[in-house]
Amino acid sequence: MRPSAGNERPPGRPVSGFVPGFAAGAPPPAAGASPFGAAAPLARPGGPAGPFAPPTQQQGPPVAQAAASPRGPFGAAPPAAMGGYRGPPPPQGSFGAGPPPPGPFSAAPPPQGPFGMAPPAQGPFGAAPPPSQGPFGATTPPSQGPIGAAPPPQGPFSATPTQGPFGATRPPQGPFGAVPSSQGPFGTAPPPFRPPPSALLQPQSPTGNTMPSPTYVRPPPVQSQPQPVQGYYPGGPNPQFPPSRPSFQQPMQNMPPPSMGPPSSYSNQPAYPTTGPPMGTLQTLVEDFQSLSVSSAPGSLDPGVDVNGLPRPLYGDEEPAKVLEAFPLNCHPRYFRLTTHTIPASQSLVSRWHLPLGAVVHPLAEAPDGEEVPVVNFGSAGVIRCRRCRTYINPYATFADAGRKWRCNLCTLLNDVPGEYFCALDASGRRFDADQRPELSKGTVEFVAPTEYMVRPPMPPSYFFLIDVSVSAVRSGLLEVVAKTIKSCLDDLLGFPRTQIGFLTFDSTLHFHNFKSSLSQPQMMVVADLDDVFLPLPDDLLVNLVDSRHVVESFLDNLPNMFQDNVNVESALGPALKAAFMVMGQIGGKLLVFQSTLPSLGIGRLRLRGDDVRAYGTDKEHILRIPEDPFYKQMAAEFTKNQIAVDIFSLSDKYCDIASLGSLAKYTGGQVYHYPSFQATTHGEKLKHELSRDLTRETAWESVMRIRCGKGVRFTTYHGHFMLRSTDLLALPAVDSDKAFAMQLSLEETLMTTQTVYFQVALLYTSSSGERRIRVHTAAAPVVTDLGEMYRQADTGAIVSVLARIAVENSLSDKLDSVRQQLQLKLVKSLKEYRNLYVVQHRIGGRLIYPESLRYLPLYILALCKSLALRGGYADVSLDERCAAGFSIMILPARRLLNFIYPSLYRLDEVLTVEPDMIDGALKRLPLTLQCLDTAGLYLLDDGFTFLVWLGRMLQPELMNDILGVSLSNFPDLSKDSVERM
Amino acid sequence: MVKLTMIARITDGLPLAEGLDDGRDLKDADFYKQQAKLLFKNLSKGQHESSRLSIETGPYYFHYIIESRVCYLTMCDRSYPKKLAFQYLEDLKNEFERVNGNQIETAARPYAFIKFDTFIQKTRKLYLDTRTQRNLAKLNDELYEVHQIMTRNVQEVLGVGEKLDQVSQMSSRLTSDTRMYADKAKDLNRQES
Repeated sequence: MRPSAGNERPPGRPVSGFVPGFAAGAPPPAAGASPFGAAAPLARPGGPAGPFAPPTQQQGPPVAQAAASPRGPFGAAPPAAMGGYRGPPPPQGSFGAGPPPPGPFSAAPPPQGPFGMAPPAQGPFGAAPPPSQGPFGATTPPSQGPIGAAPPPQGPFSATPTQGPFGATRPPQGPFGAVPSSQGPFGTAPPPFRPPPSALLQPQSPTGNTMPSPTYVRPPPVQSQPQPVQGYYPGGPNPQFPPSRPSFQQPMQNMPPPSMGPPSSYSNQPAYPTTGPPMGTLQTLVEDFQSLSVSSAPGSLDPGVDVNGLPRPLYGDEEPAKVLEAFPLNCHPRYFRLTTHTIPASQSLVSRWHLPLGAVVHPLAEAPDGEEVPVVNFGSAGVIRCRRCRTYINPYATFADAGRKWRCNLCTLLNDVPGEYFCALDASGRRFDADQRPELSKGTVEFVAPTEYMVRPPMPPSYFFLIDVSVSAVRSGLLEVVAKTIKSCLDDLLGFPRTQIGFLTFDSTLHFHNFKSSLSQPQMMVVADLDDVFLPLPDDLLVNLVDSRHVVESFLDNLPNMFQDNVNVESALGPALKAAFMVMGQIGGKLLVFQSTLPSLGIGRLRLRGDDVRAYGTDKEHILRIPEDPFYKQMAAEFTKNQIAVDIFSLSDKYCDIASLGSLAKYTGGQVYHYPSFQATTHGEKLKHELSRDLTRETAWESVMRIRCGKGVRFTTYHGHFMLRSTDLLALPAVDSDKAFAMQLSLEETLMTTQTVYFQVALLYTSSSGERRIRVHTAAAPVVTDLGEMYRQADTGAIVSVLARIAVENSLSDKLDSVRQQLQLKLVKSLKEYRNLYVVQHRIGGRLIYPESLRYLPLYILALCKSLALRGGYADVSLDERCAAGFSIMILPARRLLNFIYPSLYRLDEVLTVEPDMIDGALKRLPLTLQCLDTAGLYLLDDGFTFLVWLGRMLQPELMNDILGVSLSNFPDLSKDSVERM
Repeated sequence: MVKLTMIARITDGLPLAEGLDDGRDLKDADFYKQQAKLLFKNLSKGQHESSRLSIETGPYYFHYIIESRVCYLTMCDRSYPKKLAFQYLEDLKNEFERVNGNQIETAARPYAFIKFDTFIQKTRKLYLDTRTQRNLAKLNDELYEVHQIMTRNVQEVLGVGEKLDQVSQMSSRLTSDTRMYADKAKDLNRQES
């Protein structure tokens, strides 16, 4: 709603001239500068604040104030929000830039778009009955009276200006800024109610009212009524919701199509196309859902939803551990999870399961301490595998013919047991030695690979650093952080004593560094020929770390000084990549690229592809999110062929086309790190932490992975960072415990004849210690004919992972809007299907029900729609951040993904004021709702990438002083500053 | 110049170590590596006539020495002094035995001593240039005699196995035929009597 409101309004309002004027005048900080344009960026940072701000306003100033006084803007405008943030510690910086937290967090507008606003979403949840409107509608008028008394046009007007600018961007504001005044009486009213009321009928109301509803509504995406097994899913605060919508449309229609809105106001429009009427199928669904109600007595004031009772995933991901009870021989779900731990028996069942059918594989997930993967060496018998389908022997294989044969559980072929591996069977047909052999008793084992599994001797772990030393890298302090971090990690690099290391720096030329062990200082050689790159030395560019340790250290010590005075602004990344390829090609390994500007010279140079507002909402929207130059993909293919994985560290303060650079990581099993407007003082710690983790985590080299599955099913698509070799072999030059892969299944036959389907993940890799191993995970899943069972066995974490990856991939070929719509559609369809299953049985008439296993799914999907990668439109997230978040989503394991889209929130001030020895170490995770935030509190939001510290407005000054070392009174107002930097 | 270096256990042909980035500037590296592996396979069947041998293959020579059931093999240009090549192998052997000597028999996986590649790498560099003072001195060293080391052609060496196989096949056929003949003769004798 929100977005639409924003958009519509400006036009609707006659006052084209008025709006801008107002905006400029009123909200000085935000809108003032560039009425709308500015507003948008601000909005982001303020996102979280927005929601919070409202309370403040309530307390004091009426509407007028809001507009005019600094305070007003404050509450409503992002700057205010900033105020709240003020004094944020380093993390904040990144924070500000990275809006991640805000999105999921509060009712930030963009996110809303999808859910709240999106008609579909509403439909399902917003079943709110018209009656509900009644109450509100009634209330509203009075409130508006005072203000609204003015001629209708005006009413809307006054409201509009403020909202116009922000409306689109900043929902919270709308409600508060505009509404408060009118709603004076209501101010006290509990927030939830406030917003909705107005919406209804009148044109005027739309402005004020509509806005609020989204804000508040949102929080309770998932509502729970205490239902043991199946919760009721009262969509969000429906009552409020639906009304707002209708009201909206009306106003729009009524309004004369004003020319209006400053461009900026329009900018938001594209972002929220969702508001538009749903598409065909969706429409019917929505209608169906609108007939469902949440409130007990439609028409009464009872909201019918206890926001606090909604299910919230405060314990993060829930691994489907019960699977292990049913199938004790399965590998642990941390390695392999199906979206529902069942296989539908027929195609028709599949079509009724509207969620994805697939799996999430995390082959190198870290096992808890003390739990090690057993290693098996078959010696001269060779690795025991099925002759036909090449499945590895596993606990589900059965033995026959007195132990001389074994039957493959995937393809049912009878294989011979090699003489060396023979063992007699007991009466039940089980081998006597089954318990002694891990491969016959454990779902996860590692086999020592014999020579046939090697095309060359195990490679040494090798690291090659490609460092941009152009002026922006020098100024931001990048070189110093990188040099120090690498130096501190030298002892922990993997593969001692075989580790290889090398560096190449570049600006408009390439600088090679000779680390020959007999030198005391590294020698630098400059190659200026970018068209025909050559290596100035045959050897010693990539050297053994042990032998050349002193040379490498001296290089790292000097690196920051070496380029101190460099004023070169160019960046020849393409040629540098070619050079790196020539250096590393023989061995392979990891290539870490530190890039601080847009590549500007030589092959692979990129241009500033304007992130154009006008492109959003059109068919061309996605083009900015896909690589521009095929060079990077070709290069990635070469890299993968030579076992090189590329990690991109992008530390630009401007656009640097992550969409293109990222494809290097995407096809080589790498990773993308993005630090918007990197400054060593602010982001240094984060970079240091992430870089050392990248360098020292256990890594599997030159690996390939394949998943086999039993008859009747087939893996069709794979999602993650890898290169697909042949149809089902994933080539992974390097893979580690931070990377997971998702894949989708389809049935090959219309009817499954078996009782159980088996899956086997095999990862062939070289460990850092130089051993070639095969890690094998085996799992079984039952074939079912009952849709209810599929719902019972559903795994929210896996479903969200698969959906998220599909959504990110779709966003590369489609509008963000339709991507979000598709997500919602899937959710709605699946809930509807579930309802059809049980509605009669439970006699719940008009209520929405959902399965226990999926109780968090709606919330997560909402969070996903609000995530950096998918949220809003043009102004809500910068293009680079959006792409970087997309790349992250593609590799995150389920647990971290869930935390990324639905971050953990903790209240800190209570802990900080306790005696240190009284702290029990466990922080309580809070739901991400406005109600949980106390203006006198200090909160920490952790999404796994960034910490966001939120300082309440009423926070005790002493505490503030202790934490920031600044007292609130003389604390400089950073809000504007940081906004500009962003 | 040294092109390839491989170390393998000859009891079962299990590769133990191999030089790093060998074959970087070699076009047919894979082909020659394959040949070297075949050689190891033959050796593991017990078909070696001497513990030191040079084998010519295309433009290169394989040189190997076998010591305490480990084979050290290198491939060099034809022009590379034989003497230096064997000195190189001796160096490797000494170091390898010193470091890993007692684990060789128990190694159960391929390339169990891959860490040795850094030493191979370093030693190889010392032997790259035949005209360094150090290498010239070694060349002039009369103590290390390589003249009696035989030189064979790779086809011969790899062919030996095939021929032996043929011979053993023929002989086994002969045995079975003889047995048949004896049986028949016995039969006939019985019939006659």
